[in-house]
Amino acid sequence: MTLRRTLTIAALLTPGLGLILVMVGSVFYIAVAQSFGYYNLSGDSAFSLDHWRDVLGSKQFGRSLGYSAYIAIISALGSIAIAYPLAIWMRKPFRGSLVVGSLLKAPLFVPGLVAAFLFLNVVAYHGVLNQFLMWTGLTDAPIRFQNDRNGFGVIFLQLWKNMPLALLLLTGAVQGISDEVVDAARDLGAGPLARFRKVIAPLTVQAMQAALIIIFIGAAGDFAFQVTAGPTNVQSMAQYMVFLKTSFGRWNQAAVVGVSLMGLALVGALGLAGLARLTLRGLKW
Amino acid sequence: MASLAAKGISKVFEDGFQALTDIDLVVEPGEFVTLLGPSGCGKTTLLKTLAGFYDATTGTIEIGGTDVTAAPPEKRDTAMCFQSYALFPHLTVAENIDFGPRQAGVPKAERRDRLEGLLRQVDLEAHRDKLPNRLSGGQQQRVALARALAMRPAVVLFDEPLSNLDAKLREQVRREIRALQKEIGFTAIYVTHDQSEALAMSDRVVVMQGGRIDQVGRPEEIYARPETAFVADFIGAANLVPFEDMGGGRVKTPLGDLRAAVPPAGNATFICWRPEDVELVEAGAASENVIRGVVRDRAYQGAHTELHVATGDADLGLQRLHVAGAAPAEGAEVAFRLGADQIRFVRGALT
Repeated sequence: MTLRRTLTIAALLTPGLGLILVMVGSVFYIAVAQSFGYYNLSGDSAFSLDHWRDVLGSKQFGRSLGYSAYIAIISALGSIAIAYPLAIWMRKPFRGSLVVGSLLKAPLFVPGLVAAFLFLNVVAYHGVLNQFLMWTGLTDAPIRFQNDRNGFGVIFLQLWKNMPLALLLLTGAVQGISDEVVDAARDLGAGPLARFRKVIAPLTVQAMQAALIIIFIGAAGDFAFQVTAGPTNVQSMAQYMVFLKTSFGRWNQAAVVGVSLMGLALVGALGLAGLARLTLRGLKW
Repeated sequence: MASLAAKGISKVFEDGFQALTDIDLVVEPGEFVTLLGPSGCGKTTLLKTLAGFYDATTGTIEIGGTDVTAAPPEKRDTAMCFQSYALFPHLTVAENIDFGPRQAGVPKAERRDRLEGLLRQVDLEAHRDKLPNRLSGGQQQRVALARALAMRPAVVLFDEPLSNLDAKLREQVRREIRALQKEIGFTAIYVTHDQSEALAMSDRVVVMQGGRIDQVGRPEEIYARPETAFVADFIGAANLVPFEDMGGGRVKTPLGDLRAAVPPAGNATFICWRPEDVELVEAGAASENVIRGVVRDRAYQGAHTELHVATGDADLGLQRLHVAGAAPAEGAEVAFRLGADQIRFVRGALT
């Protein structure tokens, strides 16, 4: 490739790619720099590891990190686990499949915060679910479902919100497998589970990895579901970051949490994607 | 080796379309049977019903004497070679071939023996670790065949396996499939719409039309003694002419009065003769079964020249003649004789 051609391509890419790199790069740069004491909004700006030491030494940070990783992993794997059978079920059109597909994808169009408040209406102490349970006589008094300590409410919301995304990605991939390839596996003695393990999953692994990565990153950085329906005894990373900034004005420590959250997103997403590929390689036989 | 018997098979799809009607077919152990017919005649539907991908609406299917009508494909002792090969794109050649035996729980040592033997038989030893997308069409077809044979199935089902290959490769793979079938002796049911493929490969040919079997027979029988106008027209080239029976083998036709060696059956509707069955004679020759006409068109075909001859009856259309050696020019008046024993009678209508 000549220099002129290279420069032409670079010039053509600059408006789009350049803007993205500048926007993302500058945010990342400022967050990292702030975590090391620069861009200090409430004091001297100078290189320091104190903020990292303080945050990493905090018990609350460890709990936030573990909690966010837990929510993200369960949400990513759960969404895939629910979406796969649905994608296979809807692989071939059937009467009503368009309606079913649309209904399943509807949560994509509902803002997360709206969904969280709807969820609260259902699980609140005097919410629909408790009233129903008492009406049926299954319980004598309302049960406390809201803000449960295990984050099940947040996981439910994450699955509700993210499963359609996984379904969207997996449906396209599953439909891309020719009928004859699936029939060939069947003809060679593979039952439903073997067909999934040995043919469908390996041939859709890239869509699965994409779904895992997108959902993991989104769930790890969740703020809206957590503050609405999450447990009160532990904070998510995003919640903890905002807490440090708004409650104490600790911008640099908030930046440490922010950078850690980016690290968690990167490591977790790549880890899940790699694990998916390795598992499928092992399951090939 | 095992036999296959389909009795009274009908298939009606959910939309009400009847694809198969009352199919009876028996395939003997080690036999190579071809289902032949035009697109939409039901041959692939029948094959997929035999394989278990479609449920028969009525009728029974037995393989090796066992009723498998209700068994799913994975439980039937059949293996299929698909039109698109249907190789697993994420598995190597060796893994593709080993898929079935591994699925069936065949011991490792035996699997290895089968794999090595088949790789040798289909001449793919050098390609064992390649993914299918790195193989040519012919090689992929051989992998598909080896993958099917690795199952040691009672019956191998071929669904137009050569349709994606070019003409030369098609002929080569055709010979290879037939040679392997003879060597191993597996029972084969082969679907094609290519009549030359069917005639060249088969022990018996099943000609289908409109979801029904029109005629079953050895390739020579099908070609030389078609029973219906459709079979005569579909297998090779044929001239079909309506007639009136005058008794004693004599018939009245738009070409003139003719005499056949064998008198027509009661339900016969056309006389049929093959283009190569004629003998050119002198224009003025007066003899039995001599027909006169004018050459309207000629096409040199290498071994023979095809003449399209107008015989005077405009409604009848042009008659096809195959002439070896020097052939008359366009516009020439010709006379040709039909041997009495070359005239056959067929039933049914032209489609």
